[in-house]
Amino acid sequence: MKTIRFNQRLSGLGLSIFILSACSNIDSSRNVNNASVSGRTLAVQVCSTCHGVTGDSTSPNFPKLAGQKKEYLIAQLDDFKGHARSDAKGQEHMWGFTHLTTGQIAELADYFSAQEPMRGKNRPSGALARGETIYRNGLPDLGVAQCSACHGASGEGNASFPRLAGQHANYLIQQIEIFQETEQRPRGGVMKEVTHGLTRTDSEAVAQYLESIGVIK
Amino acid sequence: MLNPAFKPQNIPAQAMLRIIRGWVSVSLSLGVALLGLVVSQSANAVPSFARQTGQSCVACHAGGQYPELTPYGRLFKLTGYTIGGRGNPLSAMLVASQTRTQNNNDGAGGVHSTLDGQSIIDFGSVFLAGKVTDNIGGFAQFTYSQYDRQNANQTWNGHWGSDNFDLRYADRKVNDKNDLIWGVTLHNNPTVQDVWNSTPAWGYPYVSTTQGAFGRLPASTLIEGALAQHVAGVGGYVYWNKAIYAELTSYQTAKGPWAFLSMGNQPGNPDHPLTHLNGNALYWRLAYTKEWDAHNIMVGAFGMDTKVLPLDATNYPINGLGSTRYQDIGFDAQYQYLLTPHTVMAQVRVVQEKINDETGTYAGSATLNTNKIKASYVYRAKYGASLAYTSVTGSSDAGVYGTTGGLGSNLNIPDTEMWTPELFWLPMQNLRVGVQFNYFTKYLGASTNYDGAGRNASDNNTTYLYLWTSF
Repeated sequence: MKTIRFNQRLSGLGLSIFILSACSNIDSSRNVNNASVSGRTLAVQVCSTCHGVTGDSTSPNFPKLAGQKKEYLIAQLDDFKGHARSDAKGQEHMWGFTHLTTGQIAELADYFSAQEPMRGKNRPSGALARGETIYRNGLPDLGVAQCSACHGASGEGNASFPRLAGQHANYLIQQIEIFQETEQRPRGGVMKEVTHGLTRTDSEAVAQYLESIGVIK
Repeated sequence: MLNPAFKPQNIPAQAMLRIIRGWVSVSLSLGVALLGLVVSQSANAVPSFARQTGQSCVACHAGGQYPELTPYGRLFKLTGYTIGGRGNPLSAMLVASQTRTQNNNDGAGGVHSTLDGQSIIDFGSVFLAGKVTDNIGGFAQFTYSQYDRQNANQTWNGHWGSDNFDLRYADRKVNDKNDLIWGVTLHNNPTVQDVWNSTPAWGYPYVSTTQGAFGRLPASTLIEGALAQHVAGVGGYVYWNKAIYAELTSYQTAKGPWAFLSMGNQPGNPDHPLTHLNGNALYWRLAYTKEWDAHNIMVGAFGMDTKVLPLDATNYPINGLGSTRYQDIGFDAQYQYLLTPHTVMAQVRVVQEKINDETGTYAGSATLNTNKIKASYVYRAKYGASLAYTSVTGSSDAGVYGTTGGLGSNLNIPDTEMWTPELFWLPMQNLRVGVQFNYFTKYLGASTNYDGAGRNASDNNTTYLYLWTSF
């Protein structure tokens, strides 16, 4: 009798698992290695965990992707996939995306670039003057080029030059450091030249200015 | 409730002490020795998850201090461990340690901790962990304790057993307005399914001495570990908009088809008898969470209503003689600040327990309250420090806490206060080396002469050196 009940329970458990397995839906899959899963699905099921559903991430550990330039996003995903971008955060969180297809990368880029542009953080305007000066005019004496020449007058970005307006200041500061001190982002090699004269204080000033010029929350 | 090390095995046995007169009484010294022998402190870093996601440990573990979870790690677990691609689910971990007790002399010519001062490979685990389907994933840990018990020749015997287990089906419906994660879970320890490190199963300390007689409080509430690997829980949960978490789980004794969840604990086993529940026990959990900038918080509550059957002299459950009912309510909170290179984490937990006993284990209705507060800082996921304060208070009971047949309190109360500072270093992400101290300012009711035989709380201070690796 006990054996019968035991077998019935095991059968029930097995049946439950089978039924639940059958309920798997590719539209809510989190399998980043499955080429059949759409980029949009991966964006909301996986990427959103850190970057937010609309790409407007909460934590400055993770860059905002909302309204980011499509070309830039494709380039970065390609670099993560091929492990060409090797900064610590990138390695820790993004090096697992090695199986993304070209189509999935394009769909991911489409999804995030189509979102309402990332929103910044309001700051007292007086604290931002130095950052604005650097962004618009550079620091010619120190060999720091004007950022706006490539990233746009309003920080909106241009093709493979990323949108910076509204981005987390802390993330921008970290990236400037990476460009200045390492070769971990080879595609951004030009940044090494144009930022090498930027002090930490000036990096913070320009990053805080850029964070403030997104659409204010 | 007694210390988790005693609970599953000894609470029913203590009931029998009162029911069947003349059964061998358990001395304090033997009891505290058993405490070290039977507890297998669970701790996890699971490389198979890292292989599955292609991500580093720090993606899921705050400051690399496994098993403490980041917001991403919590969502990884809540979505059924299904992020990533299916891969090799096998992993393992090993803990080597040395424990020193300030005064290891038991006052009767023996020692409290047999292996005091010796460097040992303490215990190891194998894991089966990872994604099964797009909606199903699991985490199963099996642990071998090398120094489980000594036989008549004083030779040590090891012990294999189930450890933490959590199998889930989960799904996530998400758009720009709503984010709903829901799932069902089968697991073997109340709160092992929880994703915050303020609840007992994954709470601090993340690794602690198994051989030291005074590695933890002498008594704690039922939900704080006593039912681990003794019960099978089936529950459902929802997490809405990363703000509200709610869960209900029903537990029953892990026997019959559920015996794989309690492997290593069996009815009749003199060293590892299975704790039997009287009927089902219901667990509930509510939590509110919020993230802003690099900060995140959780404020929550949980509770469980459990009836435990007494065991007879041969460690089989007794039906028809009533049970001991434990009504636990806990309040907890967690704060994290995660911004490279800094990681700050803090947790607080308060558990209040009402005990109504029909078996004679307790002299009457009883209460037991525990408090824990802990803060950690980790720099560059390499260098870390923690400080914890843990305490327990409870109603007086000579039979449970006293010097004759109890834990050894001259005042017959469990009241204990313990400070736990810890320093640790992660030379690589899957290796942690640390030193942890337990400083007792009060033990079983007093700072000095708590047992009436001259032993002070500070005599129980314990130093624990450990090396913890996973692969």
